[in-house]
Formats: sequence, C-alpha cells, structure tokens
Amino acid sequence: MNLDLGGPGPGCSAMRVRRLLAGELLGAEKERTEAHVASCARCAAVQRELAEEREALRREVPFDAFAAGVAEKLARQPRRSFTQRWAPLAAAAGLVLVAGTALVLRPTDDPGVRSKGGVSAQLFVQDARGVHALGNGPVAAGARLMIKLHPGAHKRARAVLVEPGEESVIYDGPAVNGTLPQAFEWTGSGPATLRIALDEEMVEIKLHR
Amino acid sequence: MTAVGLRVIAGGRAGIAPGPPGLLAELYEKYAPGVYARCRYLLTDEADAKDALQDVFVKALRALPEFREDASPSTWILRIATHHCLNLLRARRAAWREQLQALQKDRRHETEPPDRRELVRVLLATAPEEAQEVAVLYFVDELTQAEIGQATGRSLPTVRKRLREFLSCAREALREAMPGVLLPEGEDL
Repeated sequence: MNLDLGGPGPGCSAMRVRRLLAGELLGAEKERTEAHVASCARCAAVQRELAEEREALRREVPFDAFAAGVAEKLARQPRRSFTQRWAPLAAAAGLVLVAGTALVLRPTDDPGVRSKGGVSAQLFVQDARGVHALGNGPVAAGARLMIKLHPGAHKRARAVLVEPGEESVIYDGPAVNGTLPQAFEWTGSGPATLRIALDEEMVEIKLHR
Repeated sequence: MTAVGLRVIAGGRAGIAPGPPGLLAELYEKYAPGVYARCRYLLTDEADAKDALQDVFVKALRALPEFREDASPSTWILRIATHHCLNLLRARRAAWREQLQALQKDRRHETEPPDRRELVRVLLATAPEEAQEVAVLYFVDELTQAEIGQATGRSLPTVRKRLREFLSCAREALREAMPGVLLPEGEDL
C-alpha cells in the first residue's frame, strides 16, 4: 500500500489558510488565497479544523489561566538584560494596548525628572530610536516607558500613574537603584502624573498628551 | 486612563488584571489555538501541552519585536512551538517503536491505512533533528519546499535533503512495524 503522508497541495496549504485567518496575507496573495479557499474542499476542512482548535483552546485553556501561567513563568525566570526583561513582563501583565493613533507624550516642563530630599526619578522611553530619556518631543505609539530611580537610602518604592478618576499602580517593591524591572505603556489622554513614593518621600513626574 | 488592564505589579511579579485584554489577549486569540494544537499533537498529553503553550508564549514575548515584525508571525510561532516540543520529546527519549506498534494494532486490517498525521508524528522521532522540523513544516503545516527554505533560512537543496532524510528514516522504521506500507520517494514530493 502506497501511503501519502500529505504535504502542500496545488495552491493549498494549512499554513496559508491559517495566515489568511490571522490577517497576515495582503494584496494579491490575500485575494488569490480567498478565491481558492472559497472553492476548495480541502481548505474548507482546514478551516473547520482551525475552528475546532479555537474551541479546544477556550475549553481547555481559558485566557485567564493562560495569562496567569505566562506571567508567573516570566516572573520566575531569571532576569535578562536591561532591554530584554521589561517588555515581556509588561506585556504579560496586560499593560500594552497599542492605540491606532500616534501617541504624543510630553513632560510638563523639565524632561521627566523631579527630585526632593536627594532622591530622583527619571522616565526613559524605548521606541524605534532605541532607549532615551523622556524629552519634549512626541513619543511614538507603542513606545514603552521605564522608570529609573536613585532612591538614596530608601528601601521601598511605589509608582502610581494618576489620571483623572483613576490610579494605576505601576510598581510596588524594593527601591532598586537603577531601572525598575517593569515598563509600561501609557494609552490614556489628557494630563497624568507619575507619582513615585520612596518610603515617605514623594517624587512626581507630570505627563500630558 | 483608557482601557488599561493593569492592576498591580508588585515585588517583581506581574499580575493580570481583569478588564480589557491588551497584547497578550490579542496574541492568545490569534496564535494560541494553533500553538496549543501543535503542542497537543506532538506531546499527546493535555497537561504537557498546556505547560508547553505557556513556555512558547514566554519565548515569543521575550522576542516580541522579532515575532511581530516577521513576515509570517503564524509560521514563526508555530516553529517555536515545534522546536520546543521536539526538544521535550528528545529529552524524554520518546518510545517511537512502541507507538508505531500501537498504531499498527489500531488498524483493523492490513489494507486500512494508518492515520496519516499520527504516523508522521510517531515517525518524527526516527529522524535527525533538522529533518524533524522540516518534516513538520512540510507534512503538517503544508508549506512548500520553497516556503520552508524561506522560513528556515535554508537552501532549497538542503530542504529537499532533509525531507529525503526523514523519509529514509521513516521507511526504515516502517519496514519492520508495517511492512505493507510504502512511503513516497523524496523525488516524488
């Protein structure tokens, strides 16, 4: 008995159907694949299979359990380099919501630094240009913000993003001297203040867009 | 603040907040079904597959720019999943001989073909590492040899060579367990 182990067909592939449904095909390739899939029994079977995959995932691994597991593994694994370690943590925390429009974020006057009692905090931005201190220019959508602390002798830090009607705790933990392990993305509008409490002292960074 | 799902991040541990989902939810919706299916297919164990699913997304999040900017994120993350599972299987020294015998027993008579995808899965363990990945991309994901070359950065002749290696190892394994079953030649693909 000769057995066909499968493989791509003429114009057919499970991956192509998968990519079509994920919105990864564009232009002529998308049109060609859509036209093919509409009249192909084999691709119709693949579509049914992908729908079953989705159902199985929702049934067996609901999002909350999945996200908690991913966040725990990210937190448990050893820290990596400065730029590698914060982005995944923030993403796993559900922090990152990328707006379709350009985000413009500016400090109210001095670029992101306030200090009191010998302590200071600074806000850094990571975007396509790399990592740089928050300046007066616009910040691209999707850019991540990182907090760098000089806590002096203080032991504990708590960073809260304060916006009208809402406060979000960005960090609550040891007052590390340097960049905090988590980054965040600000998706809000209007004025906001990043308040950083070091034991009893307060450092504020004002933001608006 | 508009629609931020953050609640608290404390002491170096990330916490998931209820409410609007964000990036991870988007990735879950788009890619987790395929990754989970791949993990279940290769590992054949629900608990192992759930664990592997999380591991794959940890890897994806750590390489987020590369993942998001890839021409085919679906191919990218399924390759990560395949690699991860194949590594686990190698570490466990999967007993492919016993699995092949079990597939043979499942056939009610000699003329009934074994389940194609199950057979590919069991036969993967008979082949060298690189050939395993190419076999999954070809027989499971149904990428053309040119697409496999593009996805893996290998030349077309190398892809063909790996497919031939897989088929040669698979044929050798089947000779004993399922003597009546013949596989295509590498040149026929």
